[in-house]
Amino acid sequence: MTEAADLPEATSHRLEELEHGLFTSDLSVNEFLLVKHAGFHPLGFVMGSSIYHTGIQTRRWGKSQELTKLTEAMYNARELAMTRMEEEAQELGADGVVGVRLDVNYYEWGRDAAEFIAMGTAVKAEDGSSYRNAQGKPFTSDLSGQDFWTLMQTGHVPQGLVMGTCVFHIAHRGLAQTLGTVGQNVELPNFTQALYEARELAMTRMQDEANRLGATGIVGVRLEEKSHQWGSHTIEFLALGTAVTKGTGAATLPVPTTIISLDN
Amino acid sequence: MGGHPGATDLPEAAAGQAARNVPEAVGRRLSSSAWSSGLSVPDFAACVSMGLRPLALVQGFCAMQWSAYAMGGGSPWGARPTAGAPAGAGTPFTSAGSGGYSESWPCPHGIFSAEHRWGGNYQQPWAEHAWSQGFGSAYVRMVEEAQQAGAQGIIDVVDTAQHLTEQSVIEFHVTGTAVAVEDSPPPPAPWSTYLAGQRLAKLFEAGFVPVSVAAAMSSVMMWPNCQTEYLLHGTGGWGYSYGGEIEQVINADTAVRRLARAAVRSQLGSDTLHGARFAVTRHTGNMGGHVVECTLRGTRVRRFKDFDPLAAPRPTVRLS
Repeated sequence: MTEAADLPEATSHRLEELEHGLFTSDLSVNEFLLVKHAGFHPLGFVMGSSIYHTGIQTRRWGKSQELTKLTEAMYNARELAMTRMEEEAQELGADGVVGVRLDVNYYEWGRDAAEFIAMGTAVKAEDGSSYRNAQGKPFTSDLSGQDFWTLMQTGHVPQGLVMGTCVFHIAHRGLAQTLGTVGQNVELPNFTQALYEARELAMTRMQDEANRLGATGIVGVRLEEKSHQWGSHTIEFLALGTAVTKGTGAATLPVPTTIISLDN
Repeated sequence: MGGHPGATDLPEAAAGQAARNVPEAVGRRLSSSAWSSGLSVPDFAACVSMGLRPLALVQGFCAMQWSAYAMGGGSPWGARPTAGAPAGAGTPFTSAGSGGYSESWPCPHGIFSAEHRWGGNYQQPWAEHAWSQGFGSAYVRMVEEAQQAGAQGIIDVVDTAQHLTEQSVIEFHVTGTAVAVEDSPPPPAPWSTYLAGQRLAKLFEAGFVPVSVAAAMSSVMMWPNCQTEYLLHGTGGWGYSYGGEIEQVINADTAVRRLARAAVRSQLGSDTLHGARFAVTRHTGNMGGHVVECTLRGTRVRRFKDFDPLAAPRPTVRLS
């Protein structure tokens, strides 16, 4: 479901209105000002969603392992939401989407089902230059308007919101292991190794996405951990960041000025 | 930004313990052509303007079993733990060592009874040792990742300690952004700092360079005597009908901060601590009693040039 034709009917009607000059955005006034100052105009608030059944995967009580089916589910669901948001932005002729938020919601009516939502503000360059990424799609970024402006001043251009995920089951300790360390403060190497591996997998996958976009770097990397509804021994590690490339323009960072703020 | 003292000033353990104990996936990630950074965009912009180039988000972990009354490192039952080697020996982050503080608090009426119980404050070196071990191991692994990335330094270090899967397991997680200094060869081991962005720029402007992060945790167990119990909870003894300072709590709070300061001071050598942050937490111990813990973090810095007076600041008012 990646074609624009798959978007709901209401979306087309809303986007048509936006094409006639009216714009909506979730930018604050300061963000709006700075996005305009960076040479972009907001086109409209765009979003995509996917309700996904995350299913069940058996796990071994005493073995730390990646739960690949759950990893794939969490990844695909976010990708679908992101792709639909990008489709809306493409419909508007946008160069990119700023201030992207990725949320996961659970509802009482859907045990094991979750709604993945991506939303942000589509923007277009005012000078007519194209800022689409290496794949010809509008760039996406979770940067705020202030951060977007600052990044552009450094001579870097966002390419896409990149992510990597890994759902990992952490082994329970057996009776012998537990008794062997009673009353001691010691490292648990199996736990350390399992968590290390899981986070590294998430981060490597995020960097693979950046490489596919031809990015030179990723800024604002966040590592999020959630057990969702799986219990404390199953954790999703999610790495998120904005992939950037060095643009052709030189850095135009102003010389820092020392200030004393008179605000409280 | 020259004249950095370099990694020879790092604690020996940081360089020596950079063992090959990080997962294989680290190598694959660090060999990627795209760099990553945990820096916010303003910090990234400041980094670029200072001539620092981000190389990779680096991290280290250590999952520790956390027993409230661990064997070794001093007994919790004696009122006076024995003096011994500094806790955390073998990691870059030593604590003040055992036997630093203990104080008994008898009933002021001199009565032994269920209500008129005696109390005491004492340092918990076993907890401090475990913290140093966990934090130190995670830090060393982060430094190893930075070395693999060919970094000169690690900025914007963030450390957390949180319960994992069960209450008896605490995971230490230390992250930072490995950076290279433009046109400068890498030192034997990277320097590190909690600072980033404008705060790091101001440090350089003031004539200091970061050497390494410095951190320590101190822990004091307080068993309240009848008077303290009454003043805290209104129960636990007859004959009290007054308010006032709770001396036992004040002493425990003072001691825990003093111990953390002493531990960090022992890591500094002749350097200075910059941006010190105290964090004090309290909780009930597994066997009762009140545990007061203090974590002190900061960046060990060294002067490399005389102070240049900064330009006169410009007063501003934000309109938002």
